[in-house]
Amino acid sequence: MRAQFRSRIRLVLAFIILAALGIFVRLYFVQIVHGDDYSQKADRQFSSGGSGLFDRGTIYFTRKDGTLISAATLSTGFLVAINPQILNDPEVAYAALEAIAPDQISHEAFLAAATKKTRVYIEVLHRLSEAEGQLLASKNIPGIQVLRERWRYYPGGSLASQSIGIVSFGSGDTLAGQTGLEATYDDTLMRSGDSLYKNFFAELFSNVGNLLVAAKDAREGDVVTTIEPEVQTRLQNDLMKITQRYSSKESGGIIMDPSTGAIVAIASNPSYDANNLQSVDPTLLGSPLIESVHEFGSIMKPLTMASALDAGAVTPQTTYDDTGCITVDTKKICNWDLKPRGVIPMEQIILQSLNVGASWVATQLGQDKFREYFTKLFGQRTGIDLPNEGRALLGNLATTQQINFDNMSFGQGIAVTPLQMIRALSTIANGGVMVEPHLTSAIRLNSGIERSIDWGETTPVFSATTARETTMMMTAVVDEKLQGGNARIPTMSVAAKTGTAQLTDGQGGYYATGRYFHSFVGFFPSYNPRFIILLYTNDPKGVTYASDTLSPTFLDLVHFLIDYYAVPPDRGVATTTPA
Amino acid sequence: MHNVRLHLPFSPLALCYGAAGILLVVYIGLISVVMGYATLTVEFSQSVKDDGAAIALLEGEYLASVARITGTDYVVEGYAKPLSILFVRSESSTALR
Repeated sequence: MRAQFRSRIRLVLAFIILAALGIFVRLYFVQIVHGDDYSQKADRQFSSGGSGLFDRGTIYFTRKDGTLISAATLSTGFLVAINPQILNDPEVAYAALEAIAPDQISHEAFLAAATKKTRVYIEVLHRLSEAEGQLLASKNIPGIQVLRERWRYYPGGSLASQSIGIVSFGSGDTLAGQTGLEATYDDTLMRSGDSLYKNFFAELFSNVGNLLVAAKDAREGDVVTTIEPEVQTRLQNDLMKITQRYSSKESGGIIMDPSTGAIVAIASNPSYDANNLQSVDPTLLGSPLIESVHEFGSIMKPLTMASALDAGAVTPQTTYDDTGCITVDTKKICNWDLKPRGVIPMEQIILQSLNVGASWVATQLGQDKFREYFTKLFGQRTGIDLPNEGRALLGNLATTQQINFDNMSFGQGIAVTPLQMIRALSTIANGGVMVEPHLTSAIRLNSGIERSIDWGETTPVFSATTARETTMMMTAVVDEKLQGGNARIPTMSVAAKTGTAQLTDGQGGYYATGRYFHSFVGFFPSYNPRFIILLYTNDPKGVTYASDTLSPTFLDLVHFLIDYYAVPPDRGVATTTPA
Repeated sequence: MHNVRLHLPFSPLALCYGAAGILLVVYIGLISVVMGYATLTVEFSQSVKDDGAAIALLEGEYLASVARITGTDYVVEGYAKPLSILFVRSESSTALR
């Protein structure tokens, strides 16, 4: 009898254990293996987003003292939804909404929503503040639901908006980064949607999973950029003034640390306010500094000169006879003022921006070497952490007509992006190596770890001696030529070069007169630079040369950066100069 | 050979009932603790987000101030341009600071 009882007990126990194991395995498959499918199915069955509020990581600016300021973050508030089946008196409900949030929803639209009696949930108002939401909720109006809401908020508005990017629904049904850093670091910024209503077993299993692979904590985090908000503001303000003053089609600029490639400020004008996208021209959403290519004109000459110096084709003491105009392959090349200079040394080619001189240097360098250096400088994408980087138009490098190489020597017939241009010119500033331009310095993981991003890969192009010799020529431009020598800063060496290129007419040729692309590059202190600045303005009206349009802005930025970063003087004695 | 019989001062059935009762109470307690913890977590998470949003508004005000100061035209505001600019000596400790 007792043995029979024991065997029954064992049978029952075995049944319970088997049942428990069965439930356990079933739970595993429901929660873990097919969890996402069921979650999506549930989301589709509910009209309200009850599965969780929008969540996303933060993108930070970095002030000069290391303080982080949000560039893109979350704002919280309330949305208002109605249930037309319960809403008895739409007029009273509308009056209550109008009293709290005036002019945010039209009377007609609200009544139209209220008449849809087959629906149980229609969102009628978004982005109410905390106080407004609490006040409306306290009125307890039947048929009115006040629900929490979060949305993407950009504290700077238009500040670096083309680089920070935007989030939108795109082709899917979840908000995702579409442009800029929001797109590049979408995997890092996106949150896996932890539900507010957590399931104990799901948590148990998911945490076990995280312990094993720790995928979520190693992936999700915030993005720390190298953009300095005050410098960025200054650059944007200056670019806006240029565009307005000269009615330019577009103006742009980049301020970068030439030794590391860290971009301190990057902007173009016109741009957009990331908090107000309703009336934005879609063509402005990308970054023209990364995506658009231009013929930059004479700021290419220092690269031609550096290539020739590095190859040993010329030395700084080499002279040539400048005749003012030359004919190459039946095409005429002339100096900007058509005037001959006679026998002059290499420095004068940069100092006086002589097209005939640059052509002569390109001839001395030879097509093979020219091709080799310019392919190194512009042949690869920069690797910047922004999407849709444009590719340089280097078709003329593959030809054998000398006229093409002569044109490229002074920046015509070769089109590159502003970012590729500043990266190439950084080789002169930093002793001859190509750096990786970048906008982010670190990822702050949710686990608390800050993971620095390694941007240390460099490619040598020129020797340090070549870079220094070319820098000396560019420094002379500021000390002797720019604004008639008045731009010289007695206590700070500054290297620079202006560029004025003819604009293409879209028919395979150039506009005869009056339409130009102005560019300007400079760095300081010349022989150990903290910053390199590239500026351009496209099709300015009523002005011919970049020295007129961009010099004042460049000098304004140089003086601002010297003051703001307290850059120590590198030369000179106390001097008083006219303001 | 004699069968050894264990004489307990209580019924095994009563022990099972007692154990089942205790387990039931513990189970209910565990559920209430987990739910309470979840509620607190949700509230804390929301308050963190609310604080973050409040900070974001302050950051927005700061950046707007920077933009306003940068955009200020000092001549329009009544200030005159300096007649001359004095550049300090390179060995100046003030400038090197």
